[in-house]
Amino acid sequence: MADRKPKVIGFVCERHGMEAAVLSARSGKQHDASVRLVEVPCTGRVDGIHLLKAFEDGADAVFVFGCLEKNCYYDTGSIEGRKRVGYVKQMLEEAGIEKERLEMFNAASSNAWMFPKAVEKMVEVAKKLGPIEKGGDGQ
Amino acid sequence: MKAKIQVVICRCCSEVPALLNTDRLAMLATDADMVVSVKSVDAVCDGKDLAGVMGEAKEKEVDRAVVLACHKRDVAPALLRAYKRAGVNEFMIKLVNLREEVVLPHQAQPERAQAKAEAMLRAALVRSVMLQPRERQTEEMRTNNVVIIGAGVSGQAAARAAAKAGAHTVILEKTGKTMKAPGVILPHSQLIGAKGWTGNYTLTIRVGEKVEELEAAAIIVATGGGWTELKGPLAKAVKDAVPLYKLHERMENNDLPKGPVVVVDTPDPAGKTLKVQDYAWDDTLETVIELKKRAPSTEAYVVFQEMRAFGLNELAYKEAADIGIRFIRYDKAGAPKVDPKAPAKLAVKDFAQGEVLSIPFGTLVFASIPPNKDNEGIADALRIPMAFDGGIRRGSIQRGPVETVRPGIYVCGSALFPKSRELAEREGEMAGSMAGEFVKTGRTSYGGSVAEVEQEKCSACLTCVRTCPYEAPFIGRASKAEIRTELCQGCGICVGICPSKAIELHHYTDDQIMGEARSLLGGDF
Repeated sequence: MADRKPKVIGFVCERHGMEAAVLSARSGKQHDASVRLVEVPCTGRVDGIHLLKAFEDGADAVFVFGCLEKNCYYDTGSIEGRKRVGYVKQMLEEAGIEKERLEMFNAASSNAWMFPKAVEKMVEVAKKLGPIEKGGDGQ
Repeated sequence: MKAKIQVVICRCCSEVPALLNTDRLAMLATDADMVVSVKSVDAVCDGKDLAGVMGEAKEKEVDRAVVLACHKRDVAPALLRAYKRAGVNEFMIKLVNLREEVVLPHQAQPERAQAKAEAMLRAALVRSVMLQPRERQTEEMRTNNVVIIGAGVSGQAAARAAAKAGAHTVILEKTGKTMKAPGVILPHSQLIGAKGWTGNYTLTIRVGEKVEELEAAAIIVATGGGWTELKGPLAKAVKDAVPLYKLHERMENNDLPKGPVVVVDTPDPAGKTLKVQDYAWDDTLETVIELKKRAPSTEAYVVFQEMRAFGLNELAYKEAADIGIRFIRYDKAGAPKVDPKAPAKLAVKDFAQGEVLSIPFGTLVFASIPPNKDNEGIADALRIPMAFDGGIRRGSIQRGPVETVRPGIYVCGSALFPKSRELAEREGEMAGSMAGEFVKTGRTSYGGSVAEVEQEKCSACLTCVRTCPYEAPFIGRASKAEIRTELCQGCGICVGICPSKAIELHHYTDDQIMGEARSLLGGDF
């Protein structure tokens, strides 16, 4: 399966996170087309179940992209988001899935370089680890 | 009732077709279930194209739309208004950012970009079917009062700007000082409590000895900086050190200091170092230059660790040096202290030359602005967070540099962090005009994408009450959590953290988010 394309999904907050992603696109930065984005109002909205379901639905790597912790649009939202990513990482480890597959990134809306960097890192992880092996049925 | 979806594909002039096959996207949309109208337009931001889209929307009686265009900040306002006129609820429109998420960043991978665009269209259709119409409620403001706390430089500027925008201003001033400002000025008054929400606050204030209530549509915190006295070993030796503003006041009354003037950056040179921005360097330079110009024979020294004037004020360095003001930079090891050999002199080790200089001090002036001690009480009353260094913390810079996390409460001047008079005045103007414009509308609106508690599932664990940055959730009569819609900002932090999964954020429900994610992960990559 050499030509298998990695599947990466990102939960991006519609404030600084999305602004940073949009700014990176507008300033001509390219990134891998393996990434798909889901917009959420705030990374604090991201629930553990969203991340786990994304893995279940076939994502190789998932990331959460939000505001800087000291400058979150919703005050404490990205701190809550990071906590949630933390405990889902723990759950993944307990389930025998590499915790590197899930990551949280923060950016200010002017940090155009952060988004391609985050995507690059997650695509690299997805390529290195490949698809999640599902128990028993050989998928 | 079956959903009627309209799909609009914006070609963004010719940018999108240069990379993607828009016909294939249109075909995919046409074949999809429940889509009644597919429109490809050159630019959805063009009035004529938009009118065509709306004509078809009305004709086919669509109740929801998927728009493939660019970033929602750019297209949403006009698009939502147009759809509103065509009878489509603003929360029934799903915008897909084709330009910045697919076209611009994937220039070199046209095939994969096409697959991504198709997946995004499918996901948007899935999400669109799940959307629910929502209405925003509006409420009349009871008053057009803008209450300004503090009558300093920024407070007065705020009052002028707010009055210009048509608001009635009330200034609360702690001291009895007199000043010229529009509206009502209440001397010897203090804020002690507040309740209510954006547009309709009720403040409890103490005026003299009496406690009164005051209605406010918007509040501006302009407490400014506090002034302290000398600390540490210098304080014992020097009795009559003055803060910079005192020197300025004396100069305005033509009471020029006799003998040399030494401006030290901090009241405690050997102690904890403040941040560079905590010094009023612009004002220091301005004052010292003015002094030297009016009394050229005065010896003037500026003793500092780090100096950073704002913007073009840096030109003042040269001007000051040219007219003979001496700058002495020190580092912490060579902090200024009283010369052991001559008690009327100050010994400073020059950082650049390594020499210990002995300078006479006639009038010792210090230039730092520590945070105001009243900030704590005011932040507590208004329930806004404080910065770690004692100032009022502003909300996200995206909300506006003079806004706090609570909409309708603004903050300006040195209440945020120390700054020069000029900058404080500008900030005051900004806060004042923002508050004034807001009050002029006369109505506040809320609701729409807000959280709601499913009462049966709630176990009243208080997690949401403790987590919400806006204090919207509370425990109601039925001993279950409820959300005050007026305060809810729609961030969904409580939704994610609720252990019983009892809270739902309208417009961003779990099903909607997971449905979109699943659909995005399907298909080719």
